[in-house]
Amino acid sequence: MNGVVQGGWEFVIAAYTITGLAFVIYAISLFARLKELKKHD
Amino acid sequence: MKSKVPYIFLAVGAALLLFGSYWGLFIAPAEQYMGNVQRIMYVHVPSAWSWMLAILWAFGCAIAFLFTSNMKWDSRMEAGVEVGILLAFLLCCQGAIWAKPTWGVWWDWDPRLTSVAVLLVASLGIMALRSFVDDPVRRAIWSAVATIIASVDLPIVYFSVKWWNSLHQQQSSPNTVSSAFYIPLRVNAFGVLFLMIGFIWLRTRVAALKLRQETAIPHTYEEAGELA
Repeated sequence: MNGVVQGGWEFVIAAYTITGLAFVIYAISLFARLKELKKHD
Repeated sequence: MKSKVPYIFLAVGAALLLFGSYWGLFIAPAEQYMGNVQRIMYVHVPSAWSWMLAILWAFGCAIAFLFTSNMKWDSRMEAGVEVGILLAFLLCCQGAIWAKPTWGVWWDWDPRLTSVAVLLVASLGIMALRSFVDDPVRRAIWSAVATIIASVDLPIVYFSVKWWNSLHQQQSSPNTVSSAFYIPLRVNAFGVLFLMIGFIWLRTRVAALKLRQETAIPHTYEEAGELA
């Protein structure tokens, strides 16, 4: 025990994965909603 | 050309975020005490900054709507609130993942975390309110007022770490962060900012198109989609 957080890559990978997935899924949902609305416009 | 601008923002934002994240993950050194876990900062802090800007944007649009009664501000406000929800959700997830190895808990009812959670729930409430009200004018007025009330929490979020004894660290600046850390931090800050602008722009078009189909209010989604 030296006060330094050991390892931790699993937390880093989780944080970056959630961030990337959230942006991609939101972008896809926006494109889909826009396409659908334009079709009926 | 104007219709392509938000896509350009999204492409540039994604490229910056990929580049900054690569730098933060593989080039920047590990922090002295937190080790590799500190690399979460390169996505957590930019998400926080852009989230605050999204809420500020929604607040400005709510004020503008109440003064002008122009529905384009309502569409812009809706976009700001929804993108704010996305960023606040990310902020809470990234923060919890960072908290576990450093604080020993996923969540703590600390002033900073609690005030962010309050604003996230308030934003969800505003979107729920919008989906319950059929009359577009009433919906716009009520949600503008709700957005202004919810935005009161924003300065509380910002100053919470100064006003109270918080587990969360105080705000960092280039003067308090080593140069090895702030280059990827800045690149990612611009990356998330560009993504946020692109998302708000496109979401405004969605809101404006829905409103037009709902009421036949004569403004085009391109007009409503202009941020400036």
